[in-house]
Amino acid sequence: MVTIEIDGKSYQAQAGQKLIEVTEANGIDVPRFCYHKKLSIAASCRMCLVEVERAPKPMPACATPIMDGMKVFTRSTKALAAQKAVMEFLLINHPLDCPICDQGGECELQDIAVGYGNDTSNYQEAKRVVISKNLGPLIATEMTRCIHCTRCVRFSKEITGVPEMGDPGRGEHMKIGTYVEKNITSELSGNMIDICPVGALTSKPFRFSARAWEMQQHNTIAPHDSVGSNIAVHTRRNKVLRVVPRENEAINEVWISDRDRFSYEGLTANDRITSPMIKKDGTWKKVHWDTALAYAVDNLKQIDSKSVGALASPTATVEELFLLQKLMRGIGSNNIDHRLRQVDFSDQDQAPLFPYLGQAITDLENCEAALLIGSHLRKEQPILNHRLRKAGAKVAVFNPIDYEFNFPVAAKMVVAPNNWVSNLTGIAKALLGNGLIPTGMQKLLADSEVTEEQQAIAEALQTGEKRTVLLGNLATSHPQFATVRALAATIAKLSGARLGYLPEANNTTGAWLAGAVPHRKAGGEAVVEAGLDAYAMLSQNLKAYVLLGLEPELDSCTGSASCLEAADFVVSLTAYKTEAIENYADVILPISLFTETSGTYVNAEGLWQSFGGVVNPTGSTRPAWKVLRVLGNLFDIAEFDYVSSEQVRDEVQALVGDKKPSNTAGWQVPTCLENMASDGLQRITEMPIYSGDALVRRAEALQDTLDADVAGIHVNPTVAKQFNGSEQVQVNGASLPLVLDERVPDGCALIYAGQIAGTWHGNVEVS
Amino acid sequence: MNAIKNLFKSLFLLELIKGLRVTGRYLFDRKITVQYPDEKTPQSFRFRGRHAQRRYPNGEERCIACKLCEATCPAAAITIEVEQRDDGSRQTSRYEIDLTKCIFCGYCEESCPVDAIVETRVFEYCGENSNDLLMTKSDLLAFGDELEQQLNVDKLLDSPYR
Repeated sequence: MVTIEIDGKSYQAQAGQKLIEVTEANGIDVPRFCYHKKLSIAASCRMCLVEVERAPKPMPACATPIMDGMKVFTRSTKALAAQKAVMEFLLINHPLDCPICDQGGECELQDIAVGYGNDTSNYQEAKRVVISKNLGPLIATEMTRCIHCTRCVRFSKEITGVPEMGDPGRGEHMKIGTYVEKNITSELSGNMIDICPVGALTSKPFRFSARAWEMQQHNTIAPHDSVGSNIAVHTRRNKVLRVVPRENEAINEVWISDRDRFSYEGLTANDRITSPMIKKDGTWKKVHWDTALAYAVDNLKQIDSKSVGALASPTATVEELFLLQKLMRGIGSNNIDHRLRQVDFSDQDQAPLFPYLGQAITDLENCEAALLIGSHLRKEQPILNHRLRKAGAKVAVFNPIDYEFNFPVAAKMVVAPNNWVSNLTGIAKALLGNGLIPTGMQKLLADSEVTEEQQAIAEALQTGEKRTVLLGNLATSHPQFATVRALAATIAKLSGARLGYLPEANNTTGAWLAGAVPHRKAGGEAVVEAGLDAYAMLSQNLKAYVLLGLEPELDSCTGSASCLEAADFVVSLTAYKTEAIENYADVILPISLFTETSGTYVNAEGLWQSFGGVVNPTGSTRPAWKVLRVLGNLFDIAEFDYVSSEQVRDEVQALVGDKKPSNTAGWQVPTCLENMASDGLQRITEMPIYSGDALVRRAEALQDTLDADVAGIHVNPTVAKQFNGSEQVQVNGASLPLVLDERVPDGCALIYAGQIAGTWHGNVEVS
Repeated sequence: MNAIKNLFKSLFLLELIKGLRVTGRYLFDRKITVQYPDEKTPQSFRFRGRHAQRRYPNGEERCIACKLCEATCPAAAITIEVEQRDDGSRQTSRYEIDLTKCIFCGYCEESCPVDAIVETRVFEYCGENSNDLLMTKSDLLAFGDELEQQLNVDKLLDSPYR
């Protein structure tokens, strides 16, 4: 600790801190543009000049390390004169277009110019004009406004890990932008809008829609990835206009992913349905809530409860999922599930309380070695990927596709799904002897061979002390998930790593806790007779279905809604009405989306985060928990008289109590370690980053990004030869463009979800 | 002593005469009554009457939808919605002034960075329904076009003081 004096007052500070950090911590205002606490120091704007005793010139506070006994004056004549002069220089080339600038009213330059600037300028010459670049559908540019703080350049280098922004040229000729005009591809790019101190980079979807002062800010939780990023929603006249991050060091720091930032556009999509509808004799008609609810209940009552199945989206809130399972179990059926992309449920009874990250999100930052199994982490969970990137750990990856990562990969294996088991066995074998594992597993591993690649992964995983093995979405949806999980647990055990799951949606964790699984009640207590899982429900024809916030043809790994079409009765609680839903549903109960309802999400580390409604429900939509409550009442289910979502949440929380998940106990020794047989072209399916749920699928700007451009059947050039140069390929009866993709292994074809009907796995028929 | 003074005052109706003297003076003084509507009082070039929106000489509307007038309006009489025009410029898609709310303080005119919203010398207007006094964008622009010559002169007169 050192003592320094600022403006005549003494402060204690850590040695090595920068002056601006000390002033910041003690609430002393020092103006700045280029300094950002999460970025490296550039000291290029010179706005934070302060007077330091015995220094001949004013010093930039952001780049001056503190020293014991240092005397600093932030408001002395010398410091103020320096700040005023810098401000005048910064305003030389800045246009006076505040009235039409989206940053107007929340602009750091505006604020500081009022506080530290002069009324007049000595500058009379012509101002610099810079032609704006097109950076894609998310970020609007007005580069004449740029003051060259280089925050965006440092952000793209240091945070996104993709140095897309740069500052070629010097002095007045310096031009911030992508070197060659192109779209920004980073999945965190929206944060550039926030860090830009002026209106050079602004949000394109938000462009001109409101001024900062006329919006209200409401705090809520992001509804996409399992991080549970803290966000603030800005609204005006009951309409959500934009989403910005809220600082939470333990979760999302100060960043959010583009998916969380821009998905709000889906809230007002054209196919949003605003009043209840029922289908009679093949025609849809709008009805009152009473009629629709009574119609749904009357019809469901006529069907044997064992042949009713409920499927819920894991993006629903804990309250909704809890009430749905209570409703289903109340009418005597355990057929409820949210695991729409899982195929192998054989070891579900051994699964941990919920798919737990195995550690706190902040712990990822400190890990020294990591193994990713089946995860395109960068696109699945951008914020977790950022944490792992920050760790600078030795990361080994085991994937079906050779994904590009924004951190160095220490060892990698690209393995076709059918060969996963033997290759994971090899990695486990290479680690054998490092730890104790069940004898059954030891025997199974005994006679396997270890290849060099597997050895490399095993070695990378033995770096440092803190290690982690993470199972991603592609592992969860693997047809041999139980075996993969057992092997991952073995690898984790042998290498002394923590096993972690990367849950696919924002509330997968909450769904497990709320009992939206066929084999466990809320709180994780096992049921006597497990119901049907999601895959079974969507492949066996049940007589009736209840859907919550779901489009199974796009969301589930069966890739079709044929079972629903064949069913006698389908109730869909949905916010949107699509042709497919019109086809299979009999009753549509319009529900409110996440900004219009109160609820709770549980993130990957098991943190419960509740939020309130931000705007009024659209039209006559109702929050799903209210709809489910009334359905429960109409079925005369006991103890279903909830008056608030908090009451529901408290009940679930009481049921969960202080139970903690244990990933180490969550697996069983498989009977054998055999690969799947495969002849022909294997399908690999990935859910594209901007198609994961109904809301984001309707966010127009996100759908225009390069990440959403996923049409086609992706094969590597060797496989492509069999198509004799044709550009369109018939896959399972649908025609898809052929895309050459070096990332795909031999014998495989990558088809992104949502393009063709049919299951995500196994062989595809091509012609 | 005072009592005697007051007695004399009331006896000779001194107070009444004093009052009548004022009345008499105004009776023969120059009249200030204006025979409205035949006659009108002179107006300042800063007169704050009914609002108008102005255009540039090339016909382009001045308003850039910065919403400063909306923010500054103490009576919340102004409602603005913005859109991006096809050429990328910022324009209002809705600009309404509710004259039944307006208090004619002139802040909107003062806050406007492009002299788009102005208050004219016109104070004679009426509406039969309350809706008639809700000035839409097209009303304001049409009114501005009508009065542009006068507005130009007034602005010029005011310019030395701004």
